[in-house]
Amino acid sequence: MDDSKTFNLNVRKDFPILSKKILEKKDLIYFDTAASAQKPNTVINETNDFYKNHYSNVSRGVHTLSVESTFRYEDARKKVQKFLNARSENEIIFTKSATEGINLVAQTFYEKFMQKGDEVILSLIEHHSNLIPWFFLRDKYGVALKFANIQPSGEIDIDHFESLFTNKTKIVSLTHLSNVFGTELNEKAISICKDKNVPILLDGCQSAAHLKIDVQKLGCDFFVFSGHKTYGPAGIGVLYGTENLLSEMPPYQGGGGMIGDVSLEGASYAELPAKYEAGTPPLVEAHGLGIAIDYMNKIGLDNIIEHENEITKYAFNKLNEIDFIKIHGGDNKRNSIISFNIKNVHSHEVSSFLDVEGIAIRAGHHCCQPLMKHLGVNSTARLSFGVYNSLEEVDKLVIALHKCKEFFNK
Amino acid sequence: MNDLINDLYQEIILDHGREPRNFGKCEPHNKSADGHNPLCGDNLKLTFLLNDQNIIEDIKFTGEGCAISLASASLMTEKLKGKKIEVAEEIFKDFTNLVSGSDEDLKVLNEEDSLYALKGVGRFPMRVKCATMAWHAFNQALKD
Repeated sequence: MDDSKTFNLNVRKDFPILSKKILEKKDLIYFDTAASAQKPNTVINETNDFYKNHYSNVSRGVHTLSVESTFRYEDARKKVQKFLNARSENEIIFTKSATEGINLVAQTFYEKFMQKGDEVILSLIEHHSNLIPWFFLRDKYGVALKFANIQPSGEIDIDHFESLFTNKTKIVSLTHLSNVFGTELNEKAISICKDKNVPILLDGCQSAAHLKIDVQKLGCDFFVFSGHKTYGPAGIGVLYGTENLLSEMPPYQGGGGMIGDVSLEGASYAELPAKYEAGTPPLVEAHGLGIAIDYMNKIGLDNIIEHENEITKYAFNKLNEIDFIKIHGGDNKRNSIISFNIKNVHSHEVSSFLDVEGIAIRAGHHCCQPLMKHLGVNSTARLSFGVYNSLEEVDKLVIALHKCKEFFNK
Repeated sequence: MNDLINDLYQEIILDHGREPRNFGKCEPHNKSADGHNPLCGDNLKLTFLLNDQNIIEDIKFTGEGCAISLASASLMTEKLKGKKIEVAEEIFKDFTNLVSGSDEDLKVLNEEDSLYALKGVGRFPMRVKCATMAWHAFNQALKD
């Protein structure tokens, strides 16, 4: 048995859901990690344990359970800080989702730094969650939005991107790893922002568990990701922001936990990071995310990345050989995601067909309708890989895809 | 081949999915509505002509979608053409019950109906919306 196979078998034991049988007693093959990752035993057990043995509200009481909960919540923040290599825990804001993180930045950054007529640069490949929060600024405040084109490879057209800057450009927001193409952002995009002194937000939903993230090395000003795509619970997200910007921007929501002092005449606000965490936070979920980070560290991000790259390359080559399959994007800098269409078969049919074979894939527009229009398709089928997938599963998929094509073209 | 898949994709569904009947725009028409499935991006435009006896004289649709949504729209237009509006409404109710997995208490549809071919959708809850998109558009057009 070779190393990669042993690695994979060991990892698979950590994910109880992989022993589930689908519909007609088929083994589950989970190729939908980009939508949400499965959870390892440690995350399931530790969140359970939190409720059973330590649960209370955080940062409010002085009793034992309050201390235990607060410790776990703040410990999770430390783990996230190390995971992203942020300078300080003050730069880690817990949100309910990556989406909330983007909305937070769009609203509060506008309030502090922008006015009518100012510009935001986005791109054609953005997820709706990195479009609509900015649409709000356009609709409510008259902010102008500009969209960078993409190349056939699925990468942003850097020259076009650069040409969009004017002296009114106030912020840039781009996906770090495309949820349709699996392509990583060209780091030139970030250096261009640095040169022009324009802050950049990276949507790291697809990159956080599949690339090594170092926000200082990347040089981004904001970075968001979600817990559930990184083997942790849903309901928890992370916003990283530089302390400078987060200090200057106003609070997002008002409520308990984010105040300094309140009288009926007004209020002062808490220091970072509490300033942006109004209300009782998703504390158990934050703890679960911390445990998921422990889990990834235990396996080693390098090992995860190497394993996923091997599968992605293998699947890309296998699918690329099949004449009735069209893969969207190229193979340069592709990571863990492959979108494709089968000639004359709608992606829904592909997904339902694969479902009864036990194979879970995503079919649809992947919350990227502008990109679908650009590609000239109504929807695509998408494979996405996680630490638990294997080359054997890809072989089973290829057989099923041939059967699928045959069935719908009989 | 798997029974579930054969039930879902009966020959008549594949046939209507590939070659939808009554595909186009009904001219003249006095009723229309758009169907849209925001989860997947499938969409259709339904047009029909309701005459002064409340009979659907002609009905057509255009759009893009999966085999289930196209076949359902196609079979719907075949079924509803020439029907009185009261009957059409009963068919709508029966059909939504049928694809939600309950074929008891059907008032007008029976196993002889071609629409019965869509019963297999009931086993795929995420596909029910594909099958009902055209029908909800029809229902919407009646209300407008």
